[in-house]
Amino acid sequence: MPDTKLHVSRTTRLSTISMTLMFVVVLVLACAPWWASRADIRLFGEISLYIALASLWNLLAGYAGLVSVGQQAYVGLGGYVFFGLTLLAGLNPIAALLIAPLIGVVVAAPVAVLIFRLRGAYFAIGTWVVSEVFRLTAAQVSALGGGSGISLPVSVVNALAQGRFLREALAYWLALGVAVLVTAAVFFLLRSRRGVALMAIRDNELAAKSLGIDIWVTKFVVYLVTAGLTTLVGALIFLQKLRVSPDAAFSSNDWTAFVIFIVVIGGVGTIEGPIIGTLIYFALRETLADLGTIYLIALGIVAIVIMLKAPSGVWGLIRGRRGLELFPISRRIRGLD
Amino acid sequence: MKTILTSRRSFMVGATALLAAPAILTRTRAYAATPKLKVGHVSPRTGPLAGFAEADDYILSAISKRFAEGIENNGKRWQVEIISKDSQSNPNRAAEVASELILKEEVDIIVAASTPDTVNPVSDQAEVNQVPCVTTDCPWQPYFFGRGGKPDKGFESTYHFFWGLEDVIAAFLAMWDGAGTGKSVAGLFPNDADGNAWGDPALGLPKPLAAAGYTLTDPGRYQPMSDDFTNQINAFKKAGCEIVTGNMIPPDFGTFWSQAAQQGFKPKIVTIGKALLFPSVIKGLGTRGIGLSSEVWWSPSHPFKSSLTGISSADLAGGYTKETGRPWTQPIGFKHALFEVVANVVSRTQDLEDHPAIVKAIAETDMKTIVGPVNWSKGPVKNVSKTPLVAGQWQKEGDGVALKIVTNKPAPEIPVTGQLQLLG
Repeated sequence: MPDTKLHVSRTTRLSTISMTLMFVVVLVLACAPWWASRADIRLFGEISLYIALASLWNLLAGYAGLVSVGQQAYVGLGGYVFFGLTLLAGLNPIAALLIAPLIGVVVAAPVAVLIFRLRGAYFAIGTWVVSEVFRLTAAQVSALGGGSGISLPVSVVNALAQGRFLREALAYWLALGVAVLVTAAVFFLLRSRRGVALMAIRDNELAAKSLGIDIWVTKFVVYLVTAGLTTLVGALIFLQKLRVSPDAAFSSNDWTAFVIFIVVIGGVGTIEGPIIGTLIYFALRETLADLGTIYLIALGIVAIVIMLKAPSGVWGLIRGRRGLELFPISRRIRGLD
Repeated sequence: MKTILTSRRSFMVGATALLAAPAILTRTRAYAATPKLKVGHVSPRTGPLAGFAEADDYILSAISKRFAEGIENNGKRWQVEIISKDSQSNPNRAAEVASELILKEEVDIIVAASTPDTVNPVSDQAEVNQVPCVTTDCPWQPYFFGRGGKPDKGFESTYHFFWGLEDVIAAFLAMWDGAGTGKSVAGLFPNDADGNAWGDPALGLPKPLAAAGYTLTDPGRYQPMSDDFTNQINAFKKAGCEIVTGNMIPPDFGTFWSQAAQQGFKPKIVTIGKALLFPSVIKGLGTRGIGLSSEVWWSPSHPFKSSLTGISSADLAGGYTKETGRPWTQPIGFKHALFEVVANVVSRTQDLEDHPAIVKAIAETDMKTIVGPVNWSKGPVKNVSKTPLVAGQWQKEGDGVALKIVTNKPAPEIPVTGQLQLLG
């Protein structure tokens, strides 16, 4: 019977190859402390953290339709929670990193209930207001330096691991690990039942609702997961920066504007987009940042050109109409030919 | 099918190249035949703090010319290269470029200047990576206590020279003394690194002001970039304040000062730290800028000269005006002095290949710079050396305004160039 050949599968030849290749790349990157210089390791660590931030924002905006311009609230929260737990509570940095995402989720739950009452542009502004509230609150915590900010003492950094090599390698592995964890979390979430619901919401919220998807709960779960993981990324970012202050921790430029830039040029609503966008952003930064204002103008021009000429981002261009996927997410019918 | 294959392959090649590019690009540190020392420099070239770094090009080109000739160390000439990075007035970026200078450029000494937002993150990165670091242009309390410094322990690799709050207080008090105003002082302190340090009840202005017989009205920390100072102005009016002091950023002072006029608050003396340093700010205030007073860390009339090029304060400031057509600003002298210290340290270090030896040479510094003596053994706390501070007033001169030094009691070697005039 001819139709026995017909079956549904997610994998394509390309996705099998790319998944294998990505596995190899991650393994090679995990060994970076032995083959790369200290500066490269630091750069790879930063790239990993931005991939994580961008993937999380993409999950929120690209899939759940929650266009937040206030994700710096959780990056900053992560920084402050990490400094608070290590400096005030005297916890080991690793323990603090494990607790940080939980605190992020606990804080995000009431925030979500509050801001989910807003729609569209009002929601975006609401998230910004929340992050400003967080910033002003942090400025009142005098135990953590108030508006002045506070530095992480060398002793806390040294408590991370014995010796400089291990310390820097561990900080890097944590960053790389978070990037892999976040990408994997997004990947498996999208392949799950909830992910199908999410993609339905992304394509048409009203249609999704009429199919019986509980939109509020789905968005709520995504918001909490994103907030928790963003808090973890924030903690790692400020472990690298060594210093936290309200303006730096809740900087909408560094933790939201650049992240939106990355996702938009990479391709919003795809897993590949944020990764490609991050690589493009860092390629631009590493080559142009010394030019001062011109660098920021260049970033702006790239964003405008992409938005006008390729609204679906660089990955959208590569994917084209063929629907290429490096990560096997969507189902395809096989055996038709 | 074939086209898919090629595009995927070329994409993979591209992606791999993109991933690998930084690894290849950074491995280019060449070791020249003549020994070369790398100095990293971080300053806020762009962004809201750019005024502090506007003379960077002028200072750095003169210094680089001098450094190109080489600095003598143990009978050998060392070339000194300066690698300058922009912090974009952003502490996150300052930390990032500092670590880039340390890890990628492998600089032997790192220097930074202008406000805690630049100086502190750079120093923190240097301390963790044990790279010798010299900074300036930030009062020492926000630098030292803002980084969690303990006076008896101090820091290992990071050193700072500038004045402190006690000097500002002394200079302000000397200026107000005998001006014939009431002793009720209004305090304006923002909730930021400088404001918290200046307003601190134990280490800031309140205690010494009380000791000198002044009563301070402090309505509490305001959030930077506030657009309403009505509460503060009412409190000051109620307390009958005739003197206003504090530490503000220029936009906040502009807001406060115009609202004070609207609401009929007319103090006789207005002495504000940080906000009133730059001629451009005073010009922006129009006629209401004349008569405002500020701390003076450096001026063309400071009787010091460069230990590196021999240039006098007047010539350094005059050269800047001649080259750019802009009036001199106070950070010019300190930016020059920062590199004087570097040159001095390079010439005295036992072994320039050894970072602890460079740190030791910094600690043993005893020299006279264009901003005054620098000597870390005489500091108020470890790792801090103090430079002299006086106070001045913006007065009308010809068509423009000029900063006149109106008191030199804390540092008599600096000549007075004008007399304090009360606001109308």
